[in-house]
Amino acid sequence: MKVSYNELQGLCRKAFQGLNFEDGDASDAADMVAWMQLYELNGLEALNRGLDYLLAEQHAEERAPVLLYADDDLAVLDGQGHSVLQSSSLALELGFAKARARGLAVIKIRRCHNRQLIMGYLARIAGRGMNVTAFWRNAQNPLTEQVVGFRANSSVPEIRVYAVTQVPEENEPNDGVTLVFANHVELLPSMRSEYDYDLLACHKESALIASRERAMLDGITIDDAVWDKLKHLATRILVESTDASRSGAGPGTTDND
Amino acid sequence: MMERISPREESLRLRAPERVMDLERLGSLHPSRLSFVRSLIRQMARQRWQISATRFDLDDAGHGTAIYRLQTPCGRYHGVIFSQPLSDDARSDRVIAEAWDVTFGVVEGDVDEALLEQMAANVPLQEAGRQHPRLLVLSRANRSLRNFAAFSEALSAGRQPDPAWLTQAGYLYRTTAVYGNGKFGMADFDRLKDNPDFQRPFSAQMLAVYLLRHFSIQQIEHVARRQSPATAVGLATPLKRYLGIGNSTGLGMAPFLINHPQLIEQWVKSREQALAQISAQQPEEAQRERLLALLSRAQRHLEQTVTADLEQGERNAETVAMLPEVRIWLEQVPLTYDLWQELTEWSYRALSLEAQELINTLLLELYPAIVEPFENRMGVTERLELTPEMPLVRLKQLIETHYDWALAYDFDDSENRYWFWYRSVEKEEPRLGVRGHEPGVDRELKLAIAPRVAGTHRVVAEYLRDHPRATVVDFLIQHSRYKDIVRRIQTMAETPLGEIRANLWAREMKPMHLLRAKLSFFGASRFDPKSDRWVRITLFQGAPLVEELNAEPDDLRDFDDWSFPLEPSLNASPESATSDTRTTAIPGATP
Repeated sequence: MKVSYNELQGLCRKAFQGLNFEDGDASDAADMVAWMQLYELNGLEALNRGLDYLLAEQHAEERAPVLLYADDDLAVLDGQGHSVLQSSSLALELGFAKARARGLAVIKIRRCHNRQLIMGYLARIAGRGMNVTAFWRNAQNPLTEQVVGFRANSSVPEIRVYAVTQVPEENEPNDGVTLVFANHVELLPSMRSEYDYDLLACHKESALIASRERAMLDGITIDDAVWDKLKHLATRILVESTDASRSGAGPGTTDND
Repeated sequence: MMERISPREESLRLRAPERVMDLERLGSLHPSRLSFVRSLIRQMARQRWQISATRFDLDDAGHGTAIYRLQTPCGRYHGVIFSQPLSDDARSDRVIAEAWDVTFGVVEGDVDEALLEQMAANVPLQEAGRQHPRLLVLSRANRSLRNFAAFSEALSAGRQPDPAWLTQAGYLYRTTAVYGNGKFGMADFDRLKDNPDFQRPFSAQMLAVYLLRHFSIQQIEHVARRQSPATAVGLATPLKRYLGIGNSTGLGMAPFLINHPQLIEQWVKSREQALAQISAQQPEEAQRERLLALLSRAQRHLEQTVTADLEQGERNAETVAMLPEVRIWLEQVPLTYDLWQELTEWSYRALSLEAQELINTLLLELYPAIVEPFENRMGVTERLELTPEMPLVRLKQLIETHYDWALAYDFDDSENRYWFWYRSVEKEEPRLGVRGHEPGVDRELKLAIAPRVAGTHRVVAEYLRDHPRATVVDFLIQHSRYKDIVRRIQTMAETPLGEIRANLWAREMKPMHLLRAKLSFFGASRFDPKSDRWVRITLFQGAPLVEELNAEPDDLRDFDDWSFPLEPSLNASPESATSDTRTTAIPGATP
């Protein structure tokens, strides 16, 4: 099924509201999912993989990240096992603020999942004139690492995903993401290593821009089943109708002439 | 002689935000030269757009398919209209309706048989269909049964219909929703951002309405001819021009105004900047005379505006009663350098809100060269952004400086927290409920900005007591639920004309003002409230016709002069009238 960008963003926002996200978090999360889908990076698939977590967390009181350590240049936050859709935007804003003040900042978010989806908010930070790069590692076999780098004011990143064939000794499960912000210096990923690796995916800026143009011309392809799930969640914010509410919102009497 | 003033002088002459953004004043605006229907007509004439029918397959009752081609210097588009039978009991203007007399859309590019088939299967379903990604606009409309019957009967009998019918209701069709920007699978507005034809807000939607108006004329003539081929006549040109398209609107418009403050800011600021420029112009006698003529026309137009709504009727009557006083003032005051400034200051002291804003609207007519450049500034790339590094104490100052109006309400007073807004399960229609009495407050739509700002201010002040050196992001990490409103405050503090200054929870709040504010920028006239949450208006009444557009007018100023249209009088014998007969002056062209 094909949908428009605005439609996807709107439905995701309502679905996240249906999952008890605060309004700001719901619109940020919707932007993050829709952004990935616009660039053919499978945002809905990533969301769908994490949807059970979101459903399980929907009544949690506090879903913002907890600050564990901070100095002027560095901060470590605990995502408390929540999706980056809820935990990452303020962590990224913190990094942005620190980099504005100090030129360069590093933020580590521990214990978070759905990390792919952080890209949409990175795009927003980059759009405000900040160079930003995210790095995370999937503790699986083979061990893979992913680097996403945006140059300041660019709408699209360079992405590299690679498998590390010589597994380092320290290979504990890693469910965090590390973010580097630089006011003035580009931090784009460029593969250069003395160790062996297999490049699994390489998304260049030009290819991503072409994806976006395709989406604007032909619409965005989505999975009907996921769409239906989102529609169902979105109905949670709607209020049942009564005769009084129906007539109160209209012209009073008949509207024909 | 027109003389543009410097940005600095312009900023000094701007009206204060607290005056401009007052909800009741915004609810008193009239359509103006900057309204979207006027801008579209000017653009079409300036760029020699051409409209032609490529298909007109209607049966005797006017049901079938019509396709209109629009050729601009930059591209080609098609308006595709499906007209179908509709039982009277299914005809409703509410968004909760499921069938309509006509459904239609505007497509970018050509329409081949495959696309037509796809549209025929989906456009009539409206919200329930999946629309094509090349569809720019989707809309539907219902007939005015009285006008449709009266017009077809008169024309088929060889008579022109009584113009008074159109004064009662100035259309054969009224639209009940005009969708754009990606709804139901259609093209995103973003697709149009580099398209010089439709990059202005709502211009594609206004084109769709204009094409429907043309269709309605062609359809009624077709029906009359089929009813009585021997006697039928076409509609006289003055009546064609006096025929617009109606629109019924409810609370569905309200969320847009609150959710797009940066766009609203552009609309209001453009109007205010144009007025500031005009206030510095030295008037000449010809301009005074032009203003007097426009006053007469507007007065007559308002006298001819029919509404059953008592309050709107009184507002119209009050404006009409005040205009002779304005005329006297204008005739007596010497042509000084500050005349326009004096006029607006005097009107602020002496006249009702609607009369004040009418004068501003008419002043915009006097200086096309000043006003028209602003039509390209009505759009904006919207994005509310955080400034996370901002000291929190600065955020508190911003609230106290730019949102002092929001802090002035006492939200402990039940009258100030009376309403809540929500979306109904019925097609997500926005509605108002009484807090504490109606269900849904747990799913409240956060449209009321004032209480949110006041709540944020309170929590920020408390946080600052323990963390006086905190930044905004420090605060938000502890209080993440305020992220959305803080982002709005920080962004909108830069743009003082975006926030509508009202408490949307207050019992005394009138949603009608919100609807009229938006509709006036569209170019709506003949405001006819049917309740305090539902209004009928008319678009394009008095506008030039497609055949006049296709004739490539030489005098673009005259072509653009169609505001405040008047009921035409058909002097010629009705039996002899034909579609080509110009029996009287074009409505609106002269006072």
